Amino acid sequence: MTVAPATRETGALARFGTALRRHKMASLGGGIVVLAALSAIFAPWLSPHDPLEQDVLLRLAGPSADFPLGNDSFGRDILSRILWGGRVSLYVSTASVLIAIVLGGAIGILAGYVGGLFDRIVMAAMDVLLSFPTLVMGLLVVAMLGPTVGNLILAITLTAVAPFARIARAPTLTIKERDFIEAGRALGFSNLRIMIVHILPNVIDEILVMASLWLATAIRTEASLSFIGLGVRPPTATWGGMIREGFENILDQPLLAIFPSIAILVVMFGLNMLGDGLRDTSDPRLRHE
Amino acid sequence: MRYIRSMTVGVLTLGALLLGGGNVRAESVLNVGMAAADLGSLDPHRTATTPDKAIIGWMFNGLVRFKPGTMNPESIEPDLAESWDTSPDQLTWTFHLRKGVQCNNGYGELTSDDVVFSLKRAADPKVSSFSSDFADFASIEAMDAYTVTIKLKQRPPSLLGILTNYQGGNIVCKKAVEKLGDDFRTKAVGTGPFAFAEYTPNQSITLVANKNYFRGAPKIDKIVYRYIPSDATRDLAYTSGEIDLIYGRQDQVWAERMKSDPHTVVDVFGPGELSDMNLDITKKPLDDLRVRQAIAYAVNRAELVKFKGALTAREAVSIIPHDYLGTDEHAPLYPYDPEKAKQLLAAAGFANGVTIKAIQTTLPSMLNTMQIVQAQLKKVGIDLQLEVVDHPTFHAQIRKDLSQVVMYAAARLPVADVYLTQFYHSRSIVGTPTAVTNFSHCGMADAEIDGARTATDSAKQKELWKKAQDILVEQVCAVPLYEQLQVWAHRDKLDYGYKLDASLTLGPIVNETSTLK
Amino acid sequence: MLTYIVKRLLVGVPTLLAVLTVVFFFVRIAPGDPAFIILGDQASPQALAAVRHDLGLDQPMLAQYADFMAMVLRGDLGNSLVTHQSVWGEVAKVLPYTIELTLTALAIGTVLGLPLGVLAARRRNEFIDYAARFLSLLGLSFPAFVSAILLLLAFAIELRWFPVISEARANDPMSRLSALALPAVNLGLIMVAYVMRVARSSMLGVLGEDYIRTARSKGVPAGIVVWRHALRNALIPVVTVVGLYLGVLIGNSVLTEIVFNRPGLGKLIVNALNQRDYTMLEGLMVIYAFFIVIANLLTDLTYGMVDPRVKHQ
Repeated sequence: MTVAPATRETGALARFGTALRRHKMASLGGGIVVLAALSAIFAPWLSPHDPLEQDVLLRLAGPSADFPLGNDSFGRDILSRILWGGRVSLYVSTASVLIAIVLGGAIGILAGYVGGLFDRIVMAAMDVLLSFPTLVMGLLVVAMLGPTVGNLILAITLTAVAPFARIARAPTLTIKERDFIEAGRALGFSNLRIMIVHILPNVIDEILVMASLWLATAIRTEASLSFIGLGVRPPTATWGGMIREGFENILDQPLLAIFPSIAILVVMFGLNMLGDGLRDTSDPRLRHE
Repeated sequence: MRYIRSMTVGVLTLGALLLGGGNVRAESVLNVGMAAADLGSLDPHRTATTPDKAIIGWMFNGLVRFKPGTMNPESIEPDLAESWDTSPDQLTWTFHLRKGVQCNNGYGELTSDDVVFSLKRAADPKVSSFSSDFADFASIEAMDAYTVTIKLKQRPPSLLGILTNYQGGNIVCKKAVEKLGDDFRTKAVGTGPFAFAEYTPNQSITLVANKNYFRGAPKIDKIVYRYIPSDATRDLAYTSGEIDLIYGRQDQVWAERMKSDPHTVVDVFGPGELSDMNLDITKKPLDDLRVRQAIAYAVNRAELVKFKGALTAREAVSIIPHDYLGTDEHAPLYPYDPEKAKQLLAAAGFANGVTIKAIQTTLPSMLNTMQIVQAQLKKVGIDLQLEVVDHPTFHAQIRKDLSQVVMYAAARLPVADVYLTQFYHSRSIVGTPTAVTNFSHCGMADAEIDGARTATDSAKQKELWKKAQDILVEQVCAVPLYEQLQVWAHRDKLDYGYKLDASLTLGPIVNETSTLK
Repeated sequence: MLTYIVKRLLVGVPTLLAVLTVVFFFVRIAPGDPAFIILGDQASPQALAAVRHDLGLDQPMLAQYADFMAMVLRGDLGNSLVTHQSVWGEVAKVLPYTIELTLTALAIGTVLGLPLGVLAARRRNEFIDYAARFLSLLGLSFPAFVSAILLLLAFAIELRWFPVISEARANDPMSRLSALALPAVNLGLIMVAYVMRVARSSMLGVLGEDYIRTARSKGVPAGIVVWRHALRNALIPVVTVVGLYLGVLIGNSVLTEIVFNRPGLGKLIVNALNQRDYTMLEGLMVIYAFFIVIANLLTDLTYGMVDPRVKHQ
């Protein structure tokens, strides 16, 4: 006798695909995100200049043939800096969300599965984390520990873990009572295996929706911290840092703030569209209509 | 909304005119935009930052003062003291106070009691940041209500300099300090042309004219000192007419843009804050003189000034700032010579490059400079890695001796001794009990610095100071980068009433001669 | 009901204490020294030691913690390390500004977002739905500081309708209002996006429900049914937004306050971080946490009030 297969396992991934195909908004959003990710990944080959190369004579110069988006207050190429800045956004957001998914998922499933006092303590700890607004947590961690990529990821992960833990815990509570889990236990499967093989696929759906929205939150938080002046250390190019610098020079060269703002807007827009589309297709209430 | 507001104002003014029988003069209010989030302290013995120093300059007097608009120790003039005598050995100084000077906010006449209290307070490390300036003081006593005698253990390089309206020399009113306690920090009371009126945290401080000011009532009725940390917001507020006097962004682009406005006057004045890149000679690879020399040869000071802008910055002349009493205006600095730098590096065994680490603040003006230096050093194969931390962390970490290279920008009392002692005397090495800001761990000019301090012959003194600078430059304890001048701007309707060449408070002095049309 | 509220509030207390504990140790372990910031860069080591002693920072950390907790349990958050004023007092001075800003933004968000959401739901997949959804996605994607800069340039610099510095005296309602306008619109437009989304999806949820169908079958025009329902349940989307997105709202208000140089909790916290004002940071964090606990409670309560099916156990 075999254990009943986790019925939604293939469903989740297949639906992800159909969602993208059927849902125009989701596919458009997905397209934008993929494009942005590719340009960030291939920034070293795509960017026409070294993003850190300064040229005093070209400070705040407008767009030219050599520098299509102009130069910043150090005379650095804005286009190259936007491409490289995308790497930071991409890296910080994917890393923090992935860690949050793995950590939050594990915590949630474990808490739900074990239950009892352990569950209560763990979820109380999650409540404490949820009491910090994301940006405020970011300010606290980065101002105190230093503006490094690692600390940024730490700060965002800290606030993102709890929501993922909650998402993973709720279905675990109901699923663990079901027959096939009991059967698995009866067959002597280890708790770990039951959790991974049978519970995980059932919560992956919601996690994906949540992930796309948290990616946007992570990008926004990273940019906001850089804008406040507590982002990744200069001279590293980041979108938030570029907007900050642009704002400081707004009366001298408004383009400095405009281009990175557009970049961030487009990517955020793509992520939100993708998240919306995924939600529409995974929310049963909306799907039936 | 603008119309509604101006209509309301119009109606109110009309009403006031009717009630007051036309005897109403519009209140003249000077709106100032300052680059800070909030007040640190108005207590002149505790002020740590430029934003605090600038406003304190409008509220206090010293026994003596720099002539408004200057900072030359040789042009110090009477302020609260009308005159003074010295003993032949210059160890006893007697000051005769001006009579009838009133403390602001109704704290009564200022007498020798206040002066003694104030100077002793400034000398007390528990309440004062500037106690070390008073190390040579033996006693401060009131002989009568208007006479104060100061006895010295040894003659400091410039006693009058310490007693000016700057840092510890600012005289506070005793009764106010005693009555206000902790509140003195936000409601400080002195005798200056403007008096504290209101403080709104994170927003502004309002000062009002001291009608009893001993030099005459100020013509400006009120000053609103607004805290606007963002350069951009401050600029926009100036553009929209909400502020008349603005703390500038210290760069060329800003100064040029402001200059292009016909109704704006850009103020560029001393003191120059010298940015020195201090090299820790005890840490590898900087313990090798050749590496330090390579850095000195690789730094292009002219390019730094070009970047900072010739309007607002000038080239460094020595490891201490321009124009101080005792500065060697032609110190033997290493010229820009990248080839020589590479040779020296190769000779030191770093033909393939060398990595140096520096902790650096996020403060934009300092960070920008360091980024240019970083780019310059890269050309000769020196990889200057910046660990950027926020400003408080930066200050904490460099004092724990954690950075191989410390870029530090400072202006001090314009006497060579102060700068040399704080930055290059072994007594001041960070991490020691008497630490100040010696980040390089240099002590090779101790004898000259100490010798100059006590020399009674001024030519001999200057000679020793020059020798000290020669040694420190040659040993590359620090690489001077550039001097940043103070940059402010104001609408042409504001007239300071004197020529502004320099101001030790780092902001323009606004006093009884200033007018606002 | 009352016991439920009390119980929920009591459950919040350990959370708040835990927040305080975390912040207490975190800020003290991190580098940076408040004494140095108070004294400035020329201070002698003795002076620094004296100030540290005055602030109690030379005590062992556990002793400091015990003192701090004893104080907190008496309902006192202590005095700011930098200003020596009570943390409550300092917060109370600027809290009205933040609350005024947030509530006005919520009002703007509700007034515009609710009708838009209902309309989009009724005209599902028609042009107006797509337009509304597009706009709301745009709103979600706009970082608050970018929109703030745009508003500033347009209305304070080009048109000069409003002041750049959003600072106003409490006793002058006119100047207070004109100072509030731009920041509130900035925050409000983003809220529109959130409220519209939630209103739309909750509307979609009820459109198919029985009583609507019943009403329609009885001949009541669909529009009237929908709008009556929408208004009756207007609170839900708004409360949901506050409950779900209070963190975002707080973050955006911090950014808005910074760009407009407006007094409020946001400026206070950035300043406290720069000055390493430990007690102020602890106070601010616990106040933020308190808001979040209260918002969660309100959300649950409102659901219960509007939807009798949700029972408070």
